[in-house]
Amino acid sequence: MQAWYLCENPYPFVPQEVLDQVDSVRASLPNKYCDPKVAAQLFEECLDEYRLCDEVGLNIISNEHHSGINCLYSASPLILGILARETKNVRILSLGTLVTARPDPVRIAEEYATADVISRGRIDIGFVKSGGSEMASANSNPIGNLERFWESIDLIKKTLSEHDGPFSWEGKYFTHRHVNIWPRPYQQPHPPLWAATGDPETSVELARRDIINATFVRGPDGTKKSWDAYRQARKDFGMPKAGPDRFAYMGFTYVGDSDEEGMRIGDKALWFLRVGARSATQYSRSLPGTNPPSQAPLLYRSAPPPGRSTGLASGVPHVGRPAAAFRNVTAEQAVARGVMFAGNPDTVFRQIMDFYDKVGGFEHLILMGRSGFMTHEEAEKGIRMFAKEVLPRLREVVHHDE
Amino acid sequence: MSRQTMTTEAGTGATDRMTVNGIDLEVLRRGAGRPVLLLHGMDSVSPAAPYLDLLGRHAEIIAPSSPGFGHSPRPDDFDTIYDLVHLYLALLDELPYDKVTLLGLSFGGWLAAEIAAASSHRLDKLILVDPVGIKIGGREQRDILDVFNTNPAEVKRRSWHDEARAPDFDAMSDDELVVHARNWEALCLYAWHPYMYNPQLKQWLGRIRVPTLVLWGAGDQVVTPDYGRAYAGLIPNSRFELIEGAGHYPEQEQPERFVERIAAFLKS
Repeated sequence: MQAWYLCENPYPFVPQEVLDQVDSVRASLPNKYCDPKVAAQLFEECLDEYRLCDEVGLNIISNEHHSGINCLYSASPLILGILARETKNVRILSLGTLVTARPDPVRIAEEYATADVISRGRIDIGFVKSGGSEMASANSNPIGNLERFWESIDLIKKTLSEHDGPFSWEGKYFTHRHVNIWPRPYQQPHPPLWAATGDPETSVELARRDIINATFVRGPDGTKKSWDAYRQARKDFGMPKAGPDRFAYMGFTYVGDSDEEGMRIGDKALWFLRVGARSATQYSRSLPGTNPPSQAPLLYRSAPPPGRSTGLASGVPHVGRPAAAFRNVTAEQAVARGVMFAGNPDTVFRQIMDFYDKVGGFEHLILMGRSGFMTHEEAEKGIRMFAKEVLPRLREVVHHDE
Repeated sequence: MSRQTMTTEAGTGATDRMTVNGIDLEVLRRGAGRPVLLLHGMDSVSPAAPYLDLLGRHAEIIAPSSPGFGHSPRPDDFDTIYDLVHLYLALLDELPYDKVTLLGLSFGGWLAAEIAAASSHRLDKLILVDPVGIKIGGREQRDILDVFNTNPAEVKRRSWHDEARAPDFDAMSDDELVVHARNWEALCLYAWHPYMYNPQLKQWLGRIRVPTLVLWGAGDQVVTPDYGRAYAGLIPNSRFELIEGAGHYPEQEQPERFVERIAAFLKS
């Protein structure tokens, strides 16, 4: 197994009184509440944490969100460039710049190729469909998002792989009549591809394209559903069997000296779900295209009609992100649901392997190792503990087919 | 110019279907009289809306649901205002009338303005009710409320003179809710970018050659009466009239006044 460290560089310092009065902490919260001096300090800490990961052998992930307290990385390619230069050892995954929210896939390919060259072939490329608040922030039509996602990936992949001179692309969503990027990527034919998704339908297409399927905070049942769909799709398409290297799971992860410390500090990271995920209804439940019209009877009424439960977590089910159901989650609940791994090294290893067994195995563990008010020192301790006490054991895990 | 006299039967209120350019459309028919092609707004026409019977005393209403709205399917690659305008130009060809009155509500008012700018010789009169479709203000001014990026409660407040008249989702049937969700998605598909307007339309409104009535809910804060006056000002033979006690949906909030104004205009 491999491990990948993620911290989305959140900005938790907006006063709670302000947060309580707005309908969304993303997209519409004015940036007067973002003190650039504080942000500068946060960037310095997060980049130092990535450097530490490089020292201890933990792969790293850069990501991108827009206009909110959950993530100050508004431009993942910029961070990727820094990491490509500053690190020497580990792999760097961008998961990722928002391909459906950016108008120019060729430019995205240029960014990735450049980072891949600077890092001498240590980049992995990840695709994210983007959530509701990104649509508003990027002026990106939520309708057609999934089609745009695939066309963008197709164009990016071709741009990275074609070497015989300019080619033309006039697609439904993107036009670029003259594509010929310099430099081309270090890795041939292109860096490994990942995509974050929570729904089984998308997993089928990822299987067909041989793209690594990352799920975030879905718990074992939801994750297994997606990954089984992936495995089955490979059989259906007559493709080679999907090995564990096709699967990645993100959970909040904190290793302490003791179970108590692991849970107490790990709990801080759950700010991400409790506070940092709150999107107004117009960016989530009410956003066109978020839920199929057939589900309107469940979603539009203020209470389900008698005899019917909603049975549906509100939120954005098509993105591999947690729903509003996590708003008040405790650390114990998060662990029980398989969205957090926290405790002393033995406990965390056991929790991860528990999850591993439930989902039929996976190679890539993504740790969200810092969020909310967790301090830089706490994050760095967690990184060191994980790398020293848990990672070696994970590396020894050998996958057995059932 | 001769007027076509109509001898159609009063509609039963059932919905028909039509095929135009190979595209299947749900079409609501109501009333009798001169033909009025009614293009719905952000939601498809509700068959139970009181204004339909009232207007049906003066006109034969032909109200198609645009592809993706109501129960009209949307073909792949049918996804722009251009497609909608050409669909309705083709639909005009299918109707057994030389000319019709074109009545557009809100988003349908945008389509009606486009059709009239392209082809007003196919029309005898044009009625625009709180239409969207053009940009009046400068680049940092919003003329049209962003219904997608604004909290629904705020959208409701700005859309209705009396919010109690807004749709009550709890009182709607499953089918009505599904239709509403379809309408919302279709609207977003067609109108997201540029948002609710065609930057080029403004300079072509001068081509509209038929008498035009521009009706406006006095309390409309989706598009304000000032926007409406500017819109009407760009159409040569037009008059602008306010309907008090209504916001963006005067046909729903003040059906009697709405129909009175239209009936008077049709007679004039």
